[in-house]
Amino acid sequence: MSETRAAGFIEEAAASQKEGSRRLVVRPARAEDVPALAGLLVRLKRLNEEFDPLLKVRTDAEPQAAKVLELGMKDPRMLILAGEGTGPDQGRVVGVARAALRDRIFYTPETEGVILDIYLLPAYRRKNMGEYMLAETVRLLKERGAGIVTAEFPAQNQIAVRFYAKRGFRPLNSIHAKIL
Amino acid sequence: MVEVLPRSRPGVEEGRKSDQEIEEARAREAEEETRGLSERAVDLARYFAGKIEVIPKVPVRSLKDFSYWYTPGIAEVSREIHRDPELSFELTGRWNTIAIVTDGSRVLGLGDIGPEAALPVMEGKALLFKYLGGVDAFPIPIRTKEPNDIIETAQRLEPALGGINLEDIASPKCFHILDELQRSLSIPVWHDDQLGTAAATVAGLLNALELTGRKIWQTGIVLLGAGAANLATARLLKALNCDMGALTVVDHKGILQSEREDIDELMLRNRWKYELALTTNEARTHGGLKEALQGADVLIAASTPKPGMIKPEWIQSMAPKPIVFALANPSPEIWPDVAKAAGAEIVATGRSDFPNQVNNSLIFPAVFRGVLDAHARGIPDLLALEAAQELARHAKVKGLTKDHLLPTMAEEGVFPEVAAAVGIKAVELGIARKKRTREEFLQLAQARMARPKELTQVLMKNGLLPPMPGQEVV
Repeated sequence: MSETRAAGFIEEAAASQKEGSRRLVVRPARAEDVPALAGLLVRLKRLNEEFDPLLKVRTDAEPQAAKVLELGMKDPRMLILAGEGTGPDQGRVVGVARAALRDRIFYTPETEGVILDIYLLPAYRRKNMGEYMLAETVRLLKERGAGIVTAEFPAQNQIAVRFYAKRGFRPLNSIHAKIL
Repeated sequence: MVEVLPRSRPGVEEGRKSDQEIEEARAREAEEETRGLSERAVDLARYFAGKIEVIPKVPVRSLKDFSYWYTPGIAEVSREIHRDPELSFELTGRWNTIAIVTDGSRVLGLGDIGPEAALPVMEGKALLFKYLGGVDAFPIPIRTKEPNDIIETAQRLEPALGGINLEDIASPKCFHILDELQRSLSIPVWHDDQLGTAAATVAGLLNALELTGRKIWQTGIVLLGAGAANLATARLLKALNCDMGALTVVDHKGILQSEREDIDELMLRNRWKYELALTTNEARTHGGLKEALQGADVLIAASTPKPGMIKPEWIQSMAPKPIVFALANPSPEIWPDVAKAAGAEIVATGRSDFPNQVNNSLIFPAVFRGVLDAHARGIPDLLALEAAQELARHAKVKGLTKDHLLPTMAEEGVFPEVAAAVGIKAVELGIARKKRTREEFLQLAQARMARPKELTQVLMKNGLLPPMPGQEVV
């Protein structure tokens, strides 16, 4: 993705914020972002762990996350975005979005954009920044050919259920699990 | 918080022991003191088998009088209340009756000991309510730990009650339970471990700030401990226009800040603490108490203390003339002489044998006296603040000094004043079913708070209350 295009993602004074001026710049992830992005991904997985014991986080989750992110950045079918802070967090990565393009073999639309992870540090929540991050992700997935967008998250995560429901998402597939 | 404490104070250990050893010895000594009391308390509990009882408040000249007090006459009273349930505040004792509701999940320092084991504590609290506040309080420990069951039980008790005091319910569920009951009921609901302690703390703090020439919106405050008391203190401080960005909360995991490892867990399990993480510590200080105290003006410790958890050199690193409230009982987080030697200008504790006792008994009897006399529909935080401010004002009557931040329990004249301030505030806020003037509130409170003491004296004098058996230990 070119720099000019990335600049286009910069959001100017989005929602007016009561608690300070913290805003988010969403841009494609760069190699140097990987450690910070991996940290955020692990935070998200730890949050998932709170919802379900079947989502117990591995001890090597952080290097795993770094690997997945590095591979993802090279994969044209993957989308990795970094949310950069402003103000005191200028230049610091405070959010992550990870999505994939998948083919639907039996259904139309044939290309599905799957949102795998969206995570923001708490100081950036409740300011429509999550919504902005989602909108950017969806926009880029659509740009790359997705005709339908889905989001994967733990069934017990009511926060995510509400977040997506509010934005027009509804349950599509269920994944049921049993420990062996 | 313990309301009744031994008079003797632990001596300063001599010799060349380390600070840590000295601290531990003092903590042990403080526990020793309570041990003697404990044995006696068990003997007395066995002897008296209960601390409160129901006695008539109407004359019974003969059984004929029961035609008024009971059937057939009483049916008309019921009919009137049936037409207007609000009349239950006028025609019955509802206006002065509260329940002390607990699930026994965090009793004193004993932890989760269950409802039966909580009963003696609730009886003691009921006695305090009666003796200090003239309030008829019924101990109601209930057999459930489920927050929603506790809420439902309290809701179902509402018709009999003029108010509810939640007691010794574990944090963080106590926050949800209090919020939900305050929202859903039309009687005052109070959680003393939160609001009683917080209001007494704030009262002391206001005077400490005044004595050291500080304004609350320019003061850097550190809260050590993030349980019921300190989270409520934070809430009251916010209402007082405290600079929340300059407030730092420290718990057993260190300084609370929005990027701490456990922040998402807090979001799910303790949203009150999560909110604080987002709104406090604007400088995003990391680390522990040591880092938090550097340059801070005030330390308010309401924690599970460990001997030596506050190092004197950390007090030295605070701003000039620092204020230290070390509220744990029986061993404060730092002993007053140690804090003073390290430069603390003003020190308060939870103990009655040191100056400046921050004691919830300074607050809760008066707050309930005030709201009950107003037949209040609720008890917003503004009433707790009003009580704190009135208490702080009255400390000045005897003269505000570093060792007299707050009235003591012995300054009995203060409490009806606090009750009157709460009552009139309830009227101002439009939540009083019974509108009275300040003078009326004051006179009622004076009479109603004096009566139980007089009654006890009379009953003791004529032998209807048996004398204390055995030897005193205090």
